[in-house]
Amino acid sequence: MFDSIIDPTVGAPGNDRGRTALAGRPAQLNGLRLGLLVNTKRNAADFLEEVAAALESEYGVTTVLTRTKPSIVHPAPPEMLEEFRGETDVVVVGVGDCGSCSASAVADGLQLEAAGIPAAVICSDAFRVSADAMANLQGTPGYEYVTTAHPVASLSREGVRERAVAALPEIVGMLTRPAAAVAS
Amino acid sequence: MTIDQAQLEQLKQTLQADDYRLDVDVQGDSADVAIVAGPDACEECLVPKPLMQSMLAPVLGVQPDSIRLTYPTDKA
Repeated sequence: MFDSIIDPTVGAPGNDRGRTALAGRPAQLNGLRLGLLVNTKRNAADFLEEVAAALESEYGVTTVLTRTKPSIVHPAPPEMLEEFRGETDVVVVGVGDCGSCSASAVADGLQLEAAGIPAAVICSDAFRVSADAMANLQGTPGYEYVTTAHPVASLSREGVRERAVAALPEIVGMLTRPAAAVAS
Repeated sequence: MTIDQAQLEQLKQTLQADDYRLDVDVQGDSADVAIVAGPDACEECLVPKPLMQSMLAPVLGVQPDSIRLTYPTDKA
């Protein structure tokens, strides 16, 4: 499997390594269409489901599209990105709960931003190093993402729910505050 | 060439979270780095070598292309 490691920087935005222009943010989430970009790490889907449920009940979004990436290493393929571009207003990405998947989650967030879609990327705090390294490599140092404590994979569903609820204010802030503040 | 020990420790902890060990040997302006998998290592969790080298370079105080990086499945 190690032989099949693929560089997730390939095909990501800003191939000239210029800073990715982040998407404009809505003032509020009410009435917007939510997309979920899930990786295959254990509990990632549950985490984003809990986030979506809370965003629906507390902020009035509608979850319209959920897509699971084919692997934790790759960024989302172009056709998946197209779906998000066509069908969603904001996207939550996660969960970066390992070295390669935190890096590719940041690459996904930057791809979505480049496509004009505000994104909130969730990574576990043990993998800030690889997430930040990807942001730097993509020419966008300081790109912000939401962190939750490591590990996520071993949590019970109730534990996942608690984490998702705890992360909610930061996720909402990332999706609604001015883009300049998201890439400090 | 000065190793940033605090950042090196942080990087080791990051790898350890995926059950990898980082062995580093810096000689002058180059470095040999081996990443060793533990029994619970997640096979797909290592970042690609170019990204790992870009992470290691400022920590070790050497250029990325001066880091000889060995991953668990590299041929001996």
